Amino acid sequence: MSNFVLTKVVIMTLVFAPIFSGCISEDSSDNELVIVTYDVNALSDSMISQFENNTGLEIKMIKVDDAGSILSYLIQNEGTGTIDLAIGLDNTYLPTAIELDLLKEVNIDQTVLSTLNSSKMQPLKPYEGNLAVPFDMGYICLNYDSSVVDGVNFTVPSSLWNLTEPEWKGKVALPSPITSSPGRGFMLATLDYFNWQNNDEGFSNWWTAMKDNNVIITSGWSEAYETHYTGGYGEYTEGYIGDAHITVSYCHSPGVESWYNGNWTKSASLDISKTAFFQVEYASAIRGGNSENAEKFIEYLISPNVNSQMPVENLMYSVLEGEDLPEENGYRFHSLIPSDPAFISSQDIGKNMELWLEEWNVAMTKSG
Amino acid sequence: MQKVLGVLAVVLYTVITIIPIIFALDRLILVSGFDPIFWVQSLDKNYVSQGTIGFTFIQSFFSTILTILIGFPIAWVLGRYSWPFKSFLRSILTLPFVIPAIIAAMGVLTITGPYGLDIRTNESTWWWTLILSHAWFNIALIIRFCEPVLSTLNPNLEEQLLLLPNGVTFYSRLKNLWVPVLAPAVAAASCMTFVFSFTSFALVKWITVRDKTLESTMAEVSSSSGIQGYMESSSDIVLGASLIQFLVLLTSLWLMSVLQRKRQTKWQQASENLVQNKNTKGWLVLVPAIFFVQLPLISVILGSLRVRDASADSTSFKWSTAGWSEALQGSYSFPPLSEALLNSMIYSFTTLIIALPLGYALASTIHMLEEKNLRLSKILETYTMLPFALSAAMIGLGVMLGIIKLNPSAAYDFRFLPVLAHVIITVPFVIRIILPALRSFDLNYEENAKVLGMNKLNRFLKIKLPLMKGSILVATVFTLAMSLGEFGASFIVARNSEWTTLPLLIDSLRGKPMKDPFTVPASNAVATVLMIITMILFLVVESFRKQKDRGMF
Repeated sequence: MSNFVLTKVVIMTLVFAPIFSGCISEDSSDNELVIVTYDVNALSDSMISQFENNTGLEIKMIKVDDAGSILSYLIQNEGTGTIDLAIGLDNTYLPTAIELDLLKEVNIDQTVLSTLNSSKMQPLKPYEGNLAVPFDMGYICLNYDSSVVDGVNFTVPSSLWNLTEPEWKGKVALPSPITSSPGRGFMLATLDYFNWQNNDEGFSNWWTAMKDNNVIITSGWSEAYETHYTGGYGEYTEGYIGDAHITVSYCHSPGVESWYNGNWTKSASLDISKTAFFQVEYASAIRGGNSENAEKFIEYLISPNVNSQMPVENLMYSVLEGEDLPEENGYRFHSLIPSDPAFISSQDIGKNMELWLEEWNVAMTKSG
Repeated sequence: MQKVLGVLAVVLYTVITIIPIIFALDRLILVSGFDPIFWVQSLDKNYVSQGTIGFTFIQSFFSTILTILIGFPIAWVLGRYSWPFKSFLRSILTLPFVIPAIIAAMGVLTITGPYGLDIRTNESTWWWTLILSHAWFNIALIIRFCEPVLSTLNPNLEEQLLLLPNGVTFYSRLKNLWVPVLAPAVAAASCMTFVFSFTSFALVKWITVRDKTLESTMAEVSSSSGIQGYMESSSDIVLGASLIQFLVLLTSLWLMSVLQRKRQTKWQQASENLVQNKNTKGWLVLVPAIFFVQLPLISVILGSLRVRDASADSTSFKWSTAGWSEALQGSYSFPPLSEALLNSMIYSFTTLIIALPLGYALASTIHMLEEKNLRLSKILETYTMLPFALSAAMIGLGVMLGIIKLNPSAAYDFRFLPVLAHVIITVPFVIRIILPALRSFDLNYEENAKVLGMNKLNRFLKIKLPLMKGSILVATVFTLAMSLGEFGASFIVARNSEWTTLPLLIDSLRGKPMKDPFTVPASNAVATVLMIITMILFLVVESFRKQKDRGMF
């Protein structure tokens, strides 16, 4: 029996020892780069191996669910010094990360970053500094199914209040700002739309009216777009319900639809003043991590070869000067750049986000 | 020595399962404060969790009822009559239980979707689709628990009862024979069904969409829980939902453990050959049952070969193996199927190395205590079933906090981290398979060997092990199958992206915006491979399963 016990002890030790190894020894991290990210499509295996071959660094990638989970993971791991780089925080989460002092400055030449042809697409507008470097961008806005919302069956909305009318009862799908980045971006747009600085109660009243009009709130973008929205590729997926003709996505989502469908789409973006929110996604070195290695990867991420592929690989705009969406298959033609987007400064987001989320929750739980 | 081994097993089990929960509770209470009433109230105060308590209870109740209604006739027909290829039939009918929920959800959605029955647009169908899916998933429990009782109950009992005044009518026989014989098995299976429906996550997320269970709500908000000053309401929700879930499930498990003991009350038994006779009418139950069970799985296989024609405004499909090619070769963003398969195999075998000895040692300890200290054995038995009652979100948070405390780099450096999750899930099953076998082990063998002078190790290796071979093999294969199908991601909130397993590959493929017409068939192809492996393992299990052990998982 003693042999049996011994064998068991040996097996357990072999299996569990690595967990505890950190208590005893410090790993050498000079040759590795630890990245925390969500499923960012641009970070493909081939893109990563090319970087590893070029630099001799070994990448360890930790994947979490979404941008919010990246922030949570950074907060939980604060002070452990185990993470070098975070990829995927956007400008709705970045201010909180900065406020909590989770990020570390990097020395990257950001002059290559774009102002595109339009002054409305400036990746450095939401945040300009050394704590975060933009790697992709796009406007979040309302998309509608133009085959249904054609002015005959449904009127094309010209104001957010239109969506609270009986015509739109149960026909609008919005991702929740609590659990989704696009949802959070759209909530921020509605704050600007309803002039939050003047303490206008429109924000709260509109969301309550939407709730009373059976708005469909989903946990993430994909449920809203794929499961509920009739205008997109969701109709080809299992689980498709198709009960909403308006949803929140990107202003260039119709362009993406067209790109995949051989220059055809029935989805269109709504250009209502102050309802589009400019989203930028960032790469940031993490305090306590190896920022030199992090810098190398950020430089690679915004290098022309990699970043110019963003519209195709990551379905977002490249942040580089002179880059735009491809014209093939109507990608650029069907992508809208909103005429009067909403704007809320990073400082305001950092200061008020918790409060706004709470106000949103109160608006959604009170009876109208 | 057995005592030492028992203590070691309990300690190890506690370290793996309970300590993460303590870490999680500690952190969540630090954020929310210790106010259980406030935790529960927060569920109704937050939009994200409103209405989840009622929905969770109601759907679990109806799922349990429907599972019995569908599962019992199948168990009856399978148990009371003889069938060709019975073991194969039983495997097929109980297979859904080990099919990963996401595959089941994919299958169900294909059937109800626009290219199937096209009932998704009607919201009122979601509820019944969910209930029916839970029944599909859990009928295996009813079959496993009831069929052995039915197939071995001595027919003389019914014949004798027919001659007595209390057995003249059908209802009196029902009251005096069948209900007392079957009620404990049905009730135990119902408890388990209730537990699995109560904690249902993937099926709820995909099928009812707007209505959520406590478990799916926790999964939604758990990533932002446990952080002071940042979305603190998430911590309140996780604590409130966990508390309700824990109390309800603990009650169910306790009830189940009491019922199982009752189930062992000896009824006069007979061999299957004596009990079972031919009944061709039984096919009227079995054929629809096989159809019901296999339909979602077949739709997954067909889905792997159906590729959307993406060239224009087209909703047409063509039959093609392009999805398989994409899955086999891998793509720009995903590893090839072979890599995920290899990872899955490595994890499942490592899980086996830990879960089987640990489960065996715990089962032996429970069995040993049953003779010496019945109360303690009952406590330990319930304790080892706790993973059924614990929320994945809680364990996920706890494991992450534990890792941060011990060695934060383990999250990406320790390749075997997902094994922890697999062990937590499989150990209770190993115990449920080994324990009945230990209980039915004839102690005379052991005592004779002792008299003949064999030492403890020899008695274990030469007597006990060969006699327990069947149950150990069943536990082995069951552990492998459960581990292969386990997502891991649901427990380990952060994972190294290189450790892609088959279920994770399915999940990643489906997470990619599906504008690429090959992602859906490719994810179905991976699901098909996983299903076939699971099916083969399950068929192997059946050939080793002893008649008297069949009632246990």
